[in-house]
Amino acid sequence: MLIRCVQAEFIKLRHTRIWLLLFILPLVSVIIGCFNFYMNQGVLKKEWYSLWSQVSLFYGEFFFPIFIAILCAFLWRLEHFNKNWNMIMTAPISANSIFFSKLIVVGSMLTFSQGFFGLLYFFGGKLLGLTSALPVELFGWLLRGWIAALTISTLQLALSMRIKSFAVPIGIGFCAAILGLGMYVINLGLLFPHSLLTIGMGILNQSSISSLWNNLLYYIMNGVYIFVFSLVAIYRMKKSDVVA
Amino acid sequence: MMRAISIEFFKFRHRHIYLMATLFLLIEVIFLFMGMSRSISMKPENANWEALIVMFASMNGLLFPILIAVSVSRICDMEHKGNTWKLLLTLSIKPGQVYAAKYIYACILILWVCIVQVLSIAAFGIVKDFEDPLPTFLLIRYFFGIVFTSLAIVALQQWVSLMKKNQVIALTLGMIGGFIGMTADLMPSGVSRIFIWSYYSGLSPVSLSYESEELDFIVRNLNALLPLMLIVIIAAISIYLAGSMHLSRKEV
Repeated sequence: MLIRCVQAEFIKLRHTRIWLLLFILPLVSVIIGCFNFYMNQGVLKKEWYSLWSQVSLFYGEFFFPIFIAILCAFLWRLEHFNKNWNMIMTAPISANSIFFSKLIVVGSMLTFSQGFFGLLYFFGGKLLGLTSALPVELFGWLLRGWIAALTISTLQLALSMRIKSFAVPIGIGFCAAILGLGMYVINLGLLFPHSLLTIGMGILNQSSISSLWNNLLYYIMNGVYIFVFSLVAIYRMKKSDVVA
Repeated sequence: MMRAISIEFFKFRHRHIYLMATLFLLIEVIFLFMGMSRSISMKPENANWEALIVMFASMNGLLFPILIAVSVSRICDMEHKGNTWKLLLTLSIKPGQVYAAKYIYACILILWVCIVQVLSIAAFGIVKDFEDPLPTFLLIRYFFGIVFTSLAIVALQQWVSLMKKNQVIALTLGMIGGFIGMTADLMPSGVSRIFIWSYYSGLSPVSLSYESEELDFIVRNLNALLPLMLIVIIAAISIYLAGSMHLSRKEV
């Protein structure tokens, strides 16, 4: 059932050119990050690590959360049109399948975006003439970033499902990104989904989760958030009446 | 015309759009005040108006494009969603007037946000007991800088939001605008001035200089900023007229 729902979600996305977004954001972030690195080589001496701090700052801190919010709002957009809520709720599929199929689609898009971002980071570094080996943490940053992105996606999907307006959940997502930065600064980062992205991708401090315990706590927090947000969203879908 | 504008207010009566915009702004204000308080507690001489204005100007480059994209998209999308374009244009009102009413409504909203922002900057400085007196002229210049830039961006966003039913495009434009607005200071000024979003920091009356080891705040000369202001105003008028003419001639 879930697989068929995922396939249906992909069909809904045909010809939408949403994939363009998947290319634009990593590309612009890496170009500006590399440019900034190139201009400030006097201060940024830690090669790949300094480059990461530059490219990931623009990518992960504000624009990745907004990008996720746009993707999630876009996936629900169709359901809010043409009485499609009535259609989807009367179709013989479970609420779980509806929600998780959307989460899987967002997850796969984010995988692409993270992979593309990693690739661009590698080529950007090579073009800038960095000679040392790639940081061993790179895969960890990308993977943890992806997991935190999934957490944020669950929250955004829940919001966009509930709120009919396309733009409002994106505004909320943006405000949450700023709040997340604030929470990170006052060391409460593990308690807020958007700060988890900052911590996981090593944006402001690249060695913030080096110990096993911290790593474990990080995954647990993400798991808890994904579970709670999905639970609330699915419960709401099952219990409340839809207004098409 | 006044009637058309009041109808826009009427349409939004239960939509809390002012509350949304104010909350949006409050998050920025709280975030920056937290940062400023920390910086003052570390180094008391940081308590000055110039530092506060620079912080706000650079953050505005990120916040305003997204806030405007979200607000304008809501204002325009309601007509797409309700399928009311045909209905609206069968009334004895010209398409240009509907366009103008929406634009003015959006501008009043953004004006409100700008006023609240400037007042909160002033309040923060007074509460924190800054040494210098309230720099009224500097704040007025700052205020007009953000208002003029916002007028142009509202015009652009309205054009896109009305032209394309799919609001992804408008919101993506807002996101890219925020990106450019935030990174405008890093680009060479010749390049950044092409982008309308860069004028939030470009029109700020105070700029940062990285030349010496210490950060220096430079109060910009008003005469140097006037041509930039003129560019923004011309951009706002041309984008507005282009959008209004294009959409008035388009079939609904």
